[in-house]
Amino acid sequence: MSTPLPSAIVNKLGHTVGSENVITDPDRLVVYESDGLSAYRVPPRAVVLPKTTREVAEVVAVLHGEGIDVIPRGSGTGLSGGALATPDGVVLGTARMNTILNIDSENRLARVQPGVINARLTEATKPHGLYYAPDPSSQSTCTLGGNVAENSGGPHCLKYGVTARYVTGLTVVLAGGKVVELGGAGYDPYGSLDLVGLFVGSEGCFGIATEIEVRLLPIAEGVRTLLGIFDTMEDAGRAVTSIMGSGLLPAAVEIVDSETIKAVEASVFAAGYPVDAGAALVIEFDGTEAGLDADADRAEACCLAEGAREVQRATDEEHRMALWKGRKKAFGAMGRIAPDLLVQDATVPRTKLPEVLSRIADIGTRYELNIANVFHAGDGNLHPNILFDRHDADELERVERASKEIMVLCVEVGGTITGEHGVGVDKREYMPLVHEPIELAAMAAAKAVFDPDSLFNPGKVLPDVEETS
Amino acid sequence: MSGDVKTRIEDIVPAEALDDTGGRGPLAAAAEAVVLPGSVEQVVEVVRWAGASGRRIVPIGTGQRVCGEHAAGPYVLLSTHRLSSIDIYEPADLTITLGAGLTISGLHEATRPNQQWLPFDPPTFSSRTVGGLVAAGLTGPLWAGYGDIKNHVLGATVVCGDGRCLRLGGRVVKNVAGFDLLRPVVGSRGSLAVITSVTLRLFPVPAVDRVLVLEGERLEDLVPAARRVATATVLPVSIVITNHNGAPKLLVRLHGASPTVDADQKTFEAAVGSQFRSLEGEKALEIARAARDAGVGLPHTVTMFGKGTELAELIRQAQEIPDATISADAYRCSVTVGTTAPIDECLNTGRPLDPEIVVLNAGTRGVFDPGGVMWSPQP
Repeated sequence: MSTPLPSAIVNKLGHTVGSENVITDPDRLVVYESDGLSAYRVPPRAVVLPKTTREVAEVVAVLHGEGIDVIPRGSGTGLSGGALATPDGVVLGTARMNTILNIDSENRLARVQPGVINARLTEATKPHGLYYAPDPSSQSTCTLGGNVAENSGGPHCLKYGVTARYVTGLTVVLAGGKVVELGGAGYDPYGSLDLVGLFVGSEGCFGIATEIEVRLLPIAEGVRTLLGIFDTMEDAGRAVTSIMGSGLLPAAVEIVDSETIKAVEASVFAAGYPVDAGAALVIEFDGTEAGLDADADRAEACCLAEGAREVQRATDEEHRMALWKGRKKAFGAMGRIAPDLLVQDATVPRTKLPEVLSRIADIGTRYELNIANVFHAGDGNLHPNILFDRHDADELERVERASKEIMVLCVEVGGTITGEHGVGVDKREYMPLVHEPIELAAMAAAKAVFDPDSLFNPGKVLPDVEETS
Repeated sequence: MSGDVKTRIEDIVPAEALDDTGGRGPLAAAAEAVVLPGSVEQVVEVVRWAGASGRRIVPIGTGQRVCGEHAAGPYVLLSTHRLSSIDIYEPADLTITLGAGLTISGLHEATRPNQQWLPFDPPTFSSRTVGGLVAAGLTGPLWAGYGDIKNHVLGATVVCGDGRCLRLGGRVVKNVAGFDLLRPVVGSRGSLAVITSVTLRLFPVPAVDRVLVLEGERLEDLVPAARRVATATVLPVSIVITNHNGAPKLLVRLHGASPTVDADQKTFEAAVGSQFRSLEGEKALEIARAARDAGVGLPHTVTMFGKGTELAELIRQAQEIPDATISADAYRCSVTVGTTAPIDECLNTGRPLDPEIVVLNAGTRGVFDPGGVMWSPQP
């Protein structure tokens, strides 16, 4: 149980942000006790909702002055417990920092506050013929500040790259409330070390980004979306390798497996995928209209050559949405099958996908667990989803053991423990699988450069020292 | 080289791994030795020996482009050129792990049979080593189409200033396992660590590589056209304007399948309001390379950066330099000027570094090189 924050501190915070923006009522704090990974729950001592960089700096100064942890939080959609509070900590929410500060269409740049919802930026830039490329699956709710913290990906980062590629500059509030400008479009990129690149993906452990400058792209002229239905996952996997090896550069290549198809088709999200299929492959191309049919023809040929039962091609936007539905609604559909869902995340070299999927199936069988796979096949980013009931202690233990085996497997074939969800609190124990103690110590030293007293989001990313030795 | 230094270095590396310091510019001429270790272990030992004996390390690739005039105190050049193995290359993964000393042309020899390449083209690209390219963080005009090299370096093995060997990043295209210590290394110009191997993302070689050329009377007349291409509805892979050979040109490069490239050319012609001369094959590459390298070999060079809307102003400033050979990336808005006459330093548009940034840079450097063994050309 968290200790209530002393009233003197609550008053100081209220003086800065307005007392209505300091939440201390335990009933209201329940909302902030976990993020998208609900297995971990710690209610914070308080939640503060500042509006501006200056207010963030003052709040951080007050809290750090008292030695109190600050836990940055956007929409709380993260899947690794990155926004989990500490019992002594205060959550700094960016919900009120939701202003798009500037859209500079001539230079294809936007400057936003961290609480701006990802999809809202794309909507706002659409009239200029521009959009913001990284599109995490939670883009209708997740914030750009959260995307910066997690270095978020999304289905289309296969072609366009992840968040780090688009962030050109940051205003950050560091330990004690210091405000620093990192990078910025138009400045000599060689004048400093790449501190923007170091900050992006630091999971709220280095400080808080209070303004974010991002690069925008022109909206593609056209798009072609294909849905390939395969009898087996192996066939679908070979089709992916064939498409990616053929010189095509698809915008997205996504796979859903038979377990997922069954879950989706039995739910309100039924997308019309055949329930006896072994796997479905969603392939998308975008770009200049003139070349798209040829690209789609080549991808279709790759699918058919690898044994696709059928390949559908979207005829209009509505049809396109229908083809994507089985992929996009997969997580929602799984809620019907089991009370709890662990969305795992790991990346393996693309050519290892068939082997890894077959071994994950073995792990599921061995631990008597239902594992459904939905993943970004084009870049080898897997999401094995383990369905379970957390009130069943035995099952919960099997979930944990199976999870660890999946991580070990992915690392063994040359992959890593997280491709886009981050380490947070959930994967700290797996960090020694991919990093030597000497590398973890270097990461800890990098955190100390930005946050010497470890008052920003402590207990995340890095394992405790004894776990690494 | 003093006998003492030679004897000690020969304890670590064989005699043939020592090179003379000639022909590599003033920085090399003043070095005590050029050492070419043949393994990561040898790199570690050389770096440790340097630190223990009060020397500094200047990491180099082939040594063809050793920049800078001098480093304080005694120092040795450490060349990664012998670390040139290809360790893992699985074409279907479109990734490659290789020794930092392999040249880009060596890399392309390995990847070309699979129609794959590394789409970055900083000046004198092919003869650079992969490690040098990553350390310099250079991208070249293909930045518009492919982004920064830092987004395509997936992993690296580095030897820090105190001899620690760190594996940063990984071998896969998406990886967020921990704080990204790889990013500050890319572009650090050897100031943090010696890069001994890297994993890179590769790209398919485009079916068509076309260069569109528009000539103009004066360089400044081409700026509006370059800006119209840069803000058109489709994105080329590069937009360069140059006054190379006294003949001002706008070059727009397109990669893709034939129908795409044809359609994009029409879009750009409509945007600019005139026809381009269209080149493919060796002629296209030749003109693109010449524009890219314009001014680079001259005694004095400077690169200015701005936003796209500042391009005209930067070109105007560049033209004030006597005998300026100018090559500008009109999408990124970076303008490189080469000249025979010394350049007034006030032209450099880099803002003075915020003292807080200086502190963060120093702290980050301390993570890698607490004893200050690596020589840094940066402020």
